[in-house]
Formats: sequence, structure tokens, C-alpha cells
Amino acid sequence: MKMALLKAPTPQLQWRCSVAPTTLAFPNSHSISAGRGKGREWSWRVKCSSSASAGPEIEKGTANFGPGSPVRPTSILVVGGTGTLGRQVVRRALDEGYDVRCLVRPRPAPADFLRDWGATVVNADLSKPETIPATLVGIHTVIDCATGRPEEPIKTVDWEGKVALIQCAKAMGIQKYVFYSIHNCDKHPEVPLMEIKYCTEKFLRDSGLNHIVIRLCGFMQGLIGQYAVPILEEKSVWGTDAPTRIAYMDTQDIARLTFIAIRNEKLIGKLLTFAGPRAWTTQEVITLCERLAGQDANVTTVPVSILRFTRQLTRVFEWTNDVADRLAFSEVLSSDTVFSVPMADTYNLLGVDSKDIITLEKYLQDYFSNILKKLKDLKAQSKQTDIYF
Amino acid sequence: MNATASATAANSSFYSQTQCRLSSDIRGSIPFSKMKRFLFFNDVHPRKYPLMLVPRAADPNTGKDSDVGEDEVQKQQRVMQQPPMSLSLDDVNPVGLGRRSRQLFDEVWRKFSGLGQISRTIRSDDQEALDALLVREGPMCEFAIPGAQNTTVLVVGATSRIGRIVVRKLMLRGYSVKALVRKADQEVVDLLPRSVEIVIGDVGDPTTVKAAVEGCNKIIYCATARSAITGDLFRVDHRGVYNLTKAFQDHNNKLAQSRAGKSSKSKLLIAKFKSESSLHGWDVRQGTYFQDVLATKYDGGMDAKFEFTENGDAVFSASHQLAQRVTLAPNGRFLAFQGWSKALYTYIANDQLHSNNNKAEKTPKPVEVNTTTKQDLRSFKLILEYIKALPTGQETDFVLVSCSGLGIEPSRRDQVLKAKRAGEDSLRRSGLGYTIVRPGPLQEEPGGQRALIFDQGNRISQGISCADVADICVKALHDTTARNKSFDVCYEYIAEDGRELYELVAHLPDKANNYLTPALSVLEKNT
Repeated sequence: MKMALLKAPTPQLQWRCSVAPTTLAFPNSHSISAGRGKGREWSWRVKCSSSASAGPEIEKGTANFGPGSPVRPTSILVVGGTGTLGRQVVRRALDEGYDVRCLVRPRPAPADFLRDWGATVVNADLSKPETIPATLVGIHTVIDCATGRPEEPIKTVDWEGKVALIQCAKAMGIQKYVFYSIHNCDKHPEVPLMEIKYCTEKFLRDSGLNHIVIRLCGFMQGLIGQYAVPILEEKSVWGTDAPTRIAYMDTQDIARLTFIAIRNEKLIGKLLTFAGPRAWTTQEVITLCERLAGQDANVTTVPVSILRFTRQLTRVFEWTNDVADRLAFSEVLSSDTVFSVPMADTYNLLGVDSKDIITLEKYLQDYFSNILKKLKDLKAQSKQTDIYF
Repeated sequence: MNATASATAANSSFYSQTQCRLSSDIRGSIPFSKMKRFLFFNDVHPRKYPLMLVPRAADPNTGKDSDVGEDEVQKQQRVMQQPPMSLSLDDVNPVGLGRRSRQLFDEVWRKFSGLGQISRTIRSDDQEALDALLVREGPMCEFAIPGAQNTTVLVVGATSRIGRIVVRKLMLRGYSVKALVRKADQEVVDLLPRSVEIVIGDVGDPTTVKAAVEGCNKIIYCATARSAITGDLFRVDHRGVYNLTKAFQDHNNKLAQSRAGKSSKSKLLIAKFKSESSLHGWDVRQGTYFQDVLATKYDGGMDAKFEFTENGDAVFSASHQLAQRVTLAPNGRFLAFQGWSKALYTYIANDQLHSNNNKAEKTPKPVEVNTTTKQDLRSFKLILEYIKALPTGQETDFVLVSCSGLGIEPSRRDQVLKAKRAGEDSLRRSGLGYTIVRPGPLQEEPGGQRALIFDQGNRISQGISCADVADICVKALHDTTARNKSFDVCYEYIAEDGRELYELVAHLPDKANNYLTPALSVLEKNT
């Protein structure tokens, strides 16, 4: 059905056709088949065994497009520009002189900060594929940093939305597509998000787009909300006793390296993994935060076994499946993995000095010294003017 | 205190009841979507308010939960089924308690489920706090510049290729930005960040320019004539710069007057040669003011004269061939010349100035001399009208993007350059701290990729990206080495493989090294 639509007679109409909602029935090989396992256990799998069936058809479509006015190489589209990583990507891009367009979901409180920085904001929703094509007009490179919010079903944005986006990008002749994936996603098919990321990687490879896949380990920025702020507020911090180590990386560094990678023509089609300088366990991070904040944290340690048990429990019911998906990482946590890779080769490839990559110690130190100074200022101010905070 | 404790107790009891409700809901086949909302209900504002007791009279809708109407209804239903609380809880609003307990439950649940994830996306509530941290104040933001908060920058030509990027860069760094544009139609407005203050006006029109400089601390001028028509060139590249410098100086003076002071940016008149008497105190001497090897070798006698002509000009003439340097000594006492030929150095000194005018001594300033020099092969004549000292300062006030002349079609080049140079001159004379950037042919590509060459000769051969020029402009704002300098800039020449003649000297700009300061510190100041 989709094939038929793709062969629309006029190239002008093609993108409209190729993304009409009905066409989103993927070729079978890519479909997410929902199937019931034993008993009430509900699981679905993303299958991506074979692949290129969509490729040739779409390619035929793009061939018809012909040269229009050339797209400036500085025009990029950032998908998920409001996220932790996305905003740093936008910022970096603007600073390096790119014309940045951000695809954001229409929402009551719009992403004003993006506009303040000078990016153009367009409203679209990956889960509504018909909104996508218009945002891709005149775009040279697409940087995809979107991930579904934790409270929504993973499938809609992360799989269906991404597939629609990649197909649109292909059909409209986007010249480069950057996709952020998760490190080791090929090794943990039991975790839905990782499985989806892995399948998206495959789908992207098979689509024939010029692409770069960047696999990430963990963001330092995430630690602020999780450990640093609760410790400062003297609230309880939740940690696991998992032995997993994660090489956290500053999102600003990730953004910087990304743009170096984008400009390097040799890296097209490559898979890069970005990891921080050192891998940390949860306990180590909490200890570091405690030291820097100068106060003890009230740590609640949850054994990983409980997490796993909860996951098993929640998987029993259909309506808690989303919850189970969210806890799925417990499987990864319980396996004694190190989320890190040696970066020397990547640094060489990109021509980056490892000294320029910020370490977690430095990052948190900067954070705490700034915050503590600010708190001190506030206190001094309140003393002077008797304003009670 | 008592009430609080009992409320907590009630909370926990209600908590278990909530649990019961959960299971009954399951049996009662409430749609899953609602179930979910129930579970993760308080995404909107968690744990913000401390435990508090809400009197029954309070309207449950007065809370900030405006966007949870649907849940509100559900809640009400639940309240109906709720058995009346015992003890002293009569005055406790069950709705508030319900909300509270759900918050507690959700808080715990959120943390719990958060554990099962590796890369967390930030929740909407954390987002606010993080926005404040990362966006506004940005303790870890590599872009933030200390001086940026209180600085308003006027960008002239904000829609040009360079101007666009300049505006974005300034916004990222936390400056307040005003943009002078010719007309504010939708296209222009879309092009600029939203919080930029847009001023409509034309650089050729002094009145609109006046409004534009209001409240500005610094100016970046990246406007350029759209055509090579002489009138356009004159209006934008020459008069435009002049109008802006003038308006900016006027603005500074006005501010200074309101403080009953003198603008630190205005020039200081040292001497004015209007009548014969004004020459009193000046006499011509010879010496070695400039540290020059040649000066010690030659001693050709002195034949320089300084006199007032019948035309009303003060003329300094000498038989030197060429005035190499004209300098006012740091203490304001003498004006020094250096020339080629026999007498290598002559100066005219003013003792009167030395004795009377302490101001000049106190503030050593570079000098501006309004002069007309006439040269033939054998002699040299300098007509002096006045001597004014230019103010010193730390930072640059006015960044002008000029051009190096490369990449303009040859037939037009002279005209374009003439207008540009005239504009540059009017800026140099204005007394403002200036930085003049003359980029090579502009290329539209991302910046920060290739090494840059800074030069003060005519040795520019490569292009440069707009983004790099914009970066130089923004960096120059707070760079003391950039003050009062003009320089050419372009990409480093990259030789073909195997044909490199020189080793790489420049290096790529990145966040760790500020490339501008070392590059500019070797360049000479122009005034």
C-alpha cells in the first residue's frame, strides 16, 4: 500500500503521499509485532531482521526530485531540542554559525529559550507523521536527539515516530542524519528502549541516508537532578547497589564532538561511541557529591533485586506494561556491565584532545562551588535587608 | 504541631486507602489511560509545598492545579466514597489530603522507577530548576561571560550574514541585544531571536540612529551597502559609521552630563592653532625621542620650522622627506616627528603645556592631530589645526566589520574600499575604543574549523566563514588587546599535500584557548 503511494506521479506531491498516516504501515520486516507470551505476560518485540525492502522504492522517489535550489549546508534541524542533550546541541550549533530549526511538540508553554537563543522553532509531533515533512524543507542535516518522555509509551515516539522521520528525511533528500543511540544497545534486547534504538540504527543504515550514529553512555546533567540537588536540599537520595559503572559525559562535550563529526566527511555511515573519561558507580557518584557539598546524604539504597522483582510483577498486568518498560533497565543494572568504551580512537578520529573533555569531578565541582557561592550570597543578602527566604 | 503529626498519620492511613482504591479501580475497569494519570498524577508540581493543613472551607480549586480538571472530578468521586475521618481530622480537607498522599506516593514511585533507568530525561518539574541553572545563570555554561549581564550591545545590520550570527552569539552569552534594522517585516522578525529589541532605522539617517544608541554600551557594525553604487556606499559604509559614532558619543555625553561629569570617551583638546599667539610656548627642538638606532648615527643639523602662516594655519615644515611617526609624548609636552633623510628626529615642544596643563599630564592619551601633510621629495610640511588627545580605556566600544578588498570585482574595488576606509577613519577619529575587522571573502559555513590568520598588511589571500568573523566581533568586545586595532583576518592558507612550505603556526580556536588575545597582542595599535 505504501509502495503504491510512493510512486505518486508528481514529485511535488510525493512527500505528502509518502507520509500520509495510512502509509505508516511499515513493511512487515520492520513491524513491531505484539504477541502474547505465556499466561498473562505481555510482551512486544521490535523485529528488524531484513530491511532494505523500503529502500529501493524510496530511492526511486528521491531520484525524481531533481536539483532545486541548493540547500545551504549550514541549515540544520534539531529534533528534541528542548531535551537535556538537545538544548546543548542547539546552543553549540548556533554558536558555530548554523541556522538552527528546532522541531518541538506543540505545547501550551512553548520552548521560549530556544527562540531567545536565535533558533527557529517549528511545531510538529513525531507521533503525528503528517506534521513532519513541512519541517524538513530546506534542511541539510537532521540531528535527532529525541526520546519519548518517560510517561508515554515508548513505541509511539521512539519507534514509529523515528521511522516516519527517517522515511521523510530519505524521501526529501536530507543529506545527513545524525542519530543518538545508547551504548551497548545491541546487547540488551530485553530492554525495550535499547531494542528500539538498535532497530532504528539498523533501519537508518538500510535506508541509504548519509548518517552518523552516535552511541552515548550517560549524561552528567542527569546527575544534578538525581543526586546533587537532593543532597543540597537534604532530601533522601535513592541509589541502587548495582555494580554497573557508567562513564558519564557532559552534554556540552557531546554536542561539541557531534559537530566535529558532522563536518568530517570520512565519518559518514560510521558508528561512534562517546563515553566520559571514567566510569562511575552510583555509590561513587553519591560519595563525590557528598564530599563536594560538604554534607552527608540521606541515602536510600534499593537492592537491584527489588527492582527486578517489581519489573516482573508489573509485567504481569497489561496496564502496567509501561511501568515494566521503564524498569527494564534494572536488567541491565543487575548485570555487571561497564558502560564505557576507550575513547582514544574516537579522539584521534575527530582530532580532539582528551584534555578538553570535562571530567565528572570537575563538572560537579563547578556546579557545587557555583551553587554554594550563590547560596552564600543569598544568605548575606537576606541578612542585610532582613528579607526572609 | 499535634495537628501536623495527626495529619501525617492520616496521610499514611489514606495512603493505604489509596492503594485499596487502586485495586478496586482495576476491578471496576477504569480505562488504563486514566489509571496511568492517576499513578503519575503530580508531574506538575511535586513536593513544592510543605505539609500543611487546609481548612475545609478552602476551595479545592484555588490550588494551583488548574490543569488537572479531569482528575479533580475523579478525586471528588473518591472523596464521596471516603468514610469520614475520625479524631481531630474533621478540619482537614480530605481533598488536600488525597492530593498530598498521592504526591507522597508518586514521589516515592518516581524515585523508585527512576532507578531503573540509565539515561534519564528531565522531568517537567526538574526542568524548571534546571532551566534556571543551565539557561539563565549557567554555572557550567561555557558561553557565559562575566561582563555580559549588564551590557547592551547594538548590532547594526543584524540581518546580514555576519550580523545574524553575531546576534545569536550575543544572546547565548547573555547580553542584551538591540538590533537596528531597516524595516521590521515578519521575515526580519523571524530571523532574530525573540527577546532582541528591534529598532527600525537607517544608518544614513542621524535621527533614527540616535534612538538606536539609546541605552547601549557597545556597538557592533556589520551593515554593508547592498550595491556598489557610490551613493549607497557613501551612505552606509562611510556616513553610516560616522552617524553612529557621533550618536554614540552624544549619548555618552548626555549620560555624563546627567552625572555632572565629562564623558570618559570624549576627546580632550590640548591645543588649538587659531591665531599667532597660540604658537607661544611651542618651539622646535631636536632630540632622540624615538628609540632608533639610525638616530644616533646621523646628525644632519636642524632645519625644521614651526610658524603661523597668513592663511591662518600653523605649519610645521622640515626638510625631511617623510613623516614616519607623529606622536604626542605621554606627558603631553611635545609632539614628535620622525622622518627619513638626514635629521632623523625633530620635535616641537610646548613648555606652557607642561607648566599649565596638568590634565594632559594626568591622563596620558594617544593623540589625534588634525593635519594635512604635504610632501615632496625633499621636504615635508605639516599643517596643524588642533591637537586633541584621545581617551584611553580598557575595552573596545565599537566593532566595525570592514572588508579586506579581496573578492570584490576589480572595477568596483576602489570605490568600495574608499568608502570603507573613510568609514574606518571616521571611527578612528571619534575617540571611541574601536576594533576594525577586515575579513577576507565571506563563506557561509560553520565556524571554528580552521586556523585563522590575523594580519596588518596586505597579505590576505583566503576566505573566512561568517561565523568566525562573528566570533571575533563578540570576543573583541571584552578584550583589552582588541582596543584600537584594525586588522585583516582570513583562514590559514592550506597548501596542497606535499607542497607545504611553512609549518603550522596558528591553531584552531576552541573553548580552552582564547585565540584572539595572543593573536592581537602582537599587532600594533593604530592610534
